[in-house]
Amino acid sequence: MLLNKGSKIDVNKLNIWFGSKHVIRDLDLKIQLNAVTAIMGPSGCGKSTLLRSFNRMNDVIKSSKTTGEVFINNKNIYDSNTNVYDLRRQIGMVFQRPNPLPKSIYENVVFGPKIHKMAKGKNLDKIVKQSLKASAIWDEVHDRLNDSAFDLSGGQQQRLCIARALAVDPEVILMDEPCSALDPAATAKIEQLIRTLSTDYTVVIVTHNMQQASRVSDYTVFLYLGEVIEEGDTKTIFENPKHELTEQYITGEFG
Amino acid sequence: MKRLIDSGLEQLASMLFHMGELAEQTVSLAVMNYLESTHDYNQVKNLSATLSSMADPIEDIAFEIIARFQPVASDLRIIKSYMKICYDFRRYGRYALDIAQIYERLGGMDECDLSFRKISNEMGLETMKMVTTSIQSLRNHDAELAKTMSKMEKHVDKLYCDYLDKLIATTSTTECTISSLLVVRYLERIADHATYIGESIVYLATGEKITIN
Repeated sequence: MLLNKGSKIDVNKLNIWFGSKHVIRDLDLKIQLNAVTAIMGPSGCGKSTLLRSFNRMNDVIKSSKTTGEVFINNKNIYDSNTNVYDLRRQIGMVFQRPNPLPKSIYENVVFGPKIHKMAKGKNLDKIVKQSLKASAIWDEVHDRLNDSAFDLSGGQQQRLCIARALAVDPEVILMDEPCSALDPAATAKIEQLIRTLSTDYTVVIVTHNMQQASRVSDYTVFLYLGEVIEEGDTKTIFENPKHELTEQYITGEFG
Repeated sequence: MKRLIDSGLEQLASMLFHMGELAEQTVSLAVMNYLESTHDYNQVKNLSATLSSMADPIEDIAFEIIARFQPVASDLRIIKSYMKICYDFRRYGRYALDIAQIYERLGGMDECDLSFRKISNEMGLETMKMVTTSIQSLRNHDAELAKTMSKMEKHVDKLYCDYLDKLIATTSTTECTISSLLVVRYLERIADHATYIGESIVYLATGEKITIN
């Protein structure tokens, strides 16, 4: 049984264009607090664009134009006075392929806290331990923190990237197909981690893998041509979707 | 384009529909055997055994589809419902065998009071109608037809209660009253399973969980 803890992200009439291409269309959505929400839909439907709108990552693309509102903690992040760097500390992101920095495991984790001047010395050690533990990788790396992050396996690198995101104490974690480059064993560990993280964080995950969405998420959003076709608790979406398009997509009739 | 899961679902449906045909035939033979002494015990016994043996392969196919294709939405509802219906068909076969065995042990209704015979006859025919309806609604995934069994089931229940009232009021207990008491009880259970099948069909077709019984 899902507990409704209220929403963490409220999207109102969001529209996003890249040049003349209208990618997100008048979209309204609520992302639930401390739960995992999966966004699924066929290629090009706007999943990643929507995800990247939650920490204004689309801003870095020159041709992009955004209208509408995205409220996080009751503040519209598209207000002109929003500090985008603070926002991106608050909203962590994990990408398709693990992207560790060419540094040691330790330096990867403390990179964010140092930039944001969150801690020094012993306190950094504490953050490293906490973040690596929360990412379920501490036991595997605690005796080789000074080794290069590139020495880790793909799955370990992805968990290190999650630790790096957690190190700056975010409230929301965005994941853009975090397991697409991983083998089944590494995928299982990340999925387990996603479930654990939802106790303390609001997690939004974009995935092409429907079974993954059904395994890890509490809520599912089905996006098609930039619009929300259906959203709801994952059990209902996967057992008894209300919309014909959702049914067709999840049963593999199109996509 | 045909999906990979479709051939598995088609195979599952074909096996279950065949099981349904045999289940209908088994109940029909058992009921007619009891009501009209058609001497079909061995045929009922063999059919009931066949129905029992069909359940495992159906379950195996359903599990294989789940393991290989991770079905969702209507695919998932179909598999869940088919597995439940498979069990109901098996129960049809088992109760039909029970009815046939009662006839072998205690005889039919020839010696029974006319009023008992009338109720048992009516119950037998109504129950067979429900069995046929359950199988027709399965074939077409017809939720509306499935829902019509609610009225029939109420009728069967009423006849069953009428029978009990009549039995309580009677002063003598004969082999006939004992045998028909058991048989009407089995008929009432068969009617219940017909409604369970109806509920499964409504669920697989619409996602709605209702109680027909």
